[in-house]
Amino acid sequence: MAKDGYSGKILVLDLTAREHSVIDTGQYKQWGGGHGMGSAIFWDLVEDKNVGWDDPKNVVTMMTSPLSGTMVPSASGRVEVQGIGAAGYPIRWFTRSNFGGRFGGQLKYAGWDGVVITGKSEAPVWIDIVNDSVEFRDAAGLWGKDTQETQKSIWEQKGDEAHGWDNVGAARDAGRTTQRSAIVTIGPAGENLSSLGCLIHDAGNGAGQGGFGAVFGSKNLKAISVVGTGSVEIADPIALFNARMLAKDEFGAETGQPAPPNGPSLGRAPSPTLFFKRKAEVTMGPQACQGCIAGCRPRWSDGLANESSCQETGVYTTFDALKHGAHTDASVIATDLVQRYGINSYELARGLSYLYALNQMGILGSGLEIDTKLDFSTIGETSFAVDFITKVAMREDIGEDIAEGFVRAAQKWGRLEEDWGTGILDFPYWGYANHGYDPRTEVEWGYGSIMGERDMNEHGLNAHFWAVINHMGAGLDVPITAERYAEIVTAKMVPYEDDMDMVDFSTENIYSESMAKLVSWQRHYTRFWKQSALYCDFRWPDLANFAAADDVGMTGDGEPLFWNAVTGDDMTYAEGIELGRKIWNLDNAIWSLQGRHRDIVKLAPYIYQVPLETSLVGPFYPLAGKVDGEWTYINALGRALDIDGVEQWKDRFYTLEGWDLATGWPTRATLEEVGLPDVADALESAGKLGV
Amino acid sequence: MVDKDTTTGVTAEGTGVSRREFITGVGGAGFGLVLGGLVVKGFLLPDEVIAIPASDGYLLVDPLKCQGCSTCMMACSLTHHGVQSLSLSRIQVVQDPFESFPNDKAIIQCRQCPYPACVEACPTGAMHVDSETGVRTVDVAKCIGCQECVNACPMDTSRVIWNTEERHAQKCDLCQDTPFWDRDGGPDGARACEQVCPTGAISFTKEIPLQSKEGYVVNLRDAGWAQIGYPIDDAGMVSPKASAASH
Repeated sequence: MAKDGYSGKILVLDLTAREHSVIDTGQYKQWGGGHGMGSAIFWDLVEDKNVGWDDPKNVVTMMTSPLSGTMVPSASGRVEVQGIGAAGYPIRWFTRSNFGGRFGGQLKYAGWDGVVITGKSEAPVWIDIVNDSVEFRDAAGLWGKDTQETQKSIWEQKGDEAHGWDNVGAARDAGRTTQRSAIVTIGPAGENLSSLGCLIHDAGNGAGQGGFGAVFGSKNLKAISVVGTGSVEIADPIALFNARMLAKDEFGAETGQPAPPNGPSLGRAPSPTLFFKRKAEVTMGPQACQGCIAGCRPRWSDGLANESSCQETGVYTTFDALKHGAHTDASVIATDLVQRYGINSYELARGLSYLYALNQMGILGSGLEIDTKLDFSTIGETSFAVDFITKVAMREDIGEDIAEGFVRAAQKWGRLEEDWGTGILDFPYWGYANHGYDPRTEVEWGYGSIMGERDMNEHGLNAHFWAVINHMGAGLDVPITAERYAEIVTAKMVPYEDDMDMVDFSTENIYSESMAKLVSWQRHYTRFWKQSALYCDFRWPDLANFAAADDVGMTGDGEPLFWNAVTGDDMTYAEGIELGRKIWNLDNAIWSLQGRHRDIVKLAPYIYQVPLETSLVGPFYPLAGKVDGEWTYINALGRALDIDGVEQWKDRFYTLEGWDLATGWPTRATLEEVGLPDVADALESAGKLGV
Repeated sequence: MVDKDTTTGVTAEGTGVSRREFITGVGGAGFGLVLGGLVVKGFLLPDEVIAIPASDGYLLVDPLKCQGCSTCMMACSLTHHGVQSLSLSRIQVVQDPFESFPNDKAIIQCRQCPYPACVEACPTGAMHVDSETGVRTVDVAKCIGCQECVNACPMDTSRVIWNTEERHAQKCDLCQDTPFWDRDGGPDGARACEQVCPTGAISFTKEIPLQSKEGYVVNLRDAGWAQIGYPIDDAGMVSPKASAASH
């Protein structure tokens, strides 16, 4: 086997025939891994890009990278999931999600670089992968179980519950491991084909956006289990070890000690972001994805909501606090239940706020225009959370409408225009929930999302919002000026690194070519380094990092350093970004075939009509920006976006991308420049090639 | 952390048992014994002079500080074998994502036993005590693959690893033989797992630690750890604010 980080094989599951086959990874190595490989495989295997999400012809890819299962910091544990999603409006796009944990590592150790899921099983099935062995197993006994019950049941069937060395085959040297099988599964939400249905692995790793739980459900696929006992071959083991130590010593927080108040970066302590507060008698320990330099999740002494972090822990806190004046176990139980039922917590939380607003307006409730048995007088109580979450997962009562997503539900209720106008339906991009980093302030999040196909969920620039907020919360001055911040981060934004105005978030600059460059850099950077090489969004890019010398993070040097140590390549940072541009162009080609046109690339109406007055942390949204030509941390609140300004920004972005200004479709010149002439041919045949 | 100077010791000297009886006894119920202060390089038993030197060092692990990332395991396989593998790692982290803290993880590391049953079980001398460092390790060239050492380890999960790829036994050598590493390993050098651990859940000592069936009694958590938000009492059941005040 080549010493390049790849396992060498991609597993293709034919659920219809209950057979598997193998693709030589070499056929797709030019795409790097992860998203690039997934897009290319989808392109090759799905003839009709307009296939429905629940059509057996829809193909789901679950890809790793050469870095998966290695000690590259915060890159070892991610798995990229792609296919036509069950979520999204007005079109259910070819989309992506991603989850962490240890599934990707086990897949690599089993000898597989990814799994391609095709067809549809006639009856519920789960897949049992043990090294080279792939079995289609009856899931009748698992169907209906929640995600925790399912995994425990599979472990029990496989004898994984006992600690100790386990021989994975009949032969003495078939392989040994102490590890439980890594399982990704759906819960009732996915089984019931709700677009809020997630994939869940272990207790708290979820691929939430896109509705891939429902896609699994449509294929009667309950779970995939994998355990591997093999090895991933490394090109330069010594270089890999030393690079890891460089990251730890020079860019990580002091071992076992609190970190400077960084935003997402390598310089974080291994601590979870928690929105709920637990009782003092409940303690926690740290938990991380495989290979992470600083984990972001806890396990709790009562076992509730294990491995939940960040937004998942805030799914019910607002209403809990409103009812009780403080957080109670209701918040914790709601989070735990969301993980068990396999529900996208973003959609659920924003959606519940919408339902509550409609209830307060006298529109939604028992016997009202939108009739539901939900008892809103008890909102904030555990009983309401359990009732609501259960209804969503089971498609009962109002859950039937919500299963199509809240935007489609609003459309069914005849409320979409009005509620998208006022903003009580806070779903600004492609029918996805507002991530909290609102397009009116953090414009790159909004732009990146509408130029893509979903809430982009990329914190690279958002990190500086949190860095400022975290310093303020700790009563500290931000250690660098906004100008120094701009200098540090834009120096890493190849090939536009000479333009500091890329991070000027002042209102005067947010429609500029510089802002188009920023979004272009982020789309290309993330498509390769984050979603194909699979560096984790919570640690990479490492731009400004207050744990590092001169506050300069590892990005630019770090990504290729690790990549080359593992693969033996000689890839530069810029070459990775250029490969990201190629992948991004392939994605846009698929979207164009699905019906993408510039005219529908837009944010929800309220983003243009209603100024934003509060952020996640109150009346302040600090971002770098210039006032009268001087850099400072501005408060970006108080503005709505100008619709003409956004259209001008789109012109600038399409121009940078080499896409057709009128349609937004890729042009032949651009596709040929990135090495995709066959894609240009396909678009031309379909009448979707830009000019 | 246990203060080694305060442990009370029971040594083998003067016990009146044969070498085999002694080792057998230790291998069975022996982990109930407290083995403090045993730093001599060898000792006398009644029927013969044998040399079972103590190891020059021991890995200490605190599972309550472990984040379960398995980086230690990958560092072990990388430095020893040049690959990334959990199955080849001589330190193992096992976890249950649904279990309550602190019962959710265990770190399984070789304790470099004072009376190594694995060494005793080996028919060829492949599993041996290194004469210079006292580290219990394997001479792969002598290993005949009988797995007696794997099965002899008295711990519930054997600390001796059966390498199914190369078909020999192997175990933690404190990194004294790491062909894929450019640093000096061993008791007087560095240990890869200890170096890479992101939380500081692995440490090293030259003193023989207190042993029990649960492992060494180790608490590597300090006030800084409490500041992050984690408990630092031995059992991990006291909120960090309360324990920080008394730690």
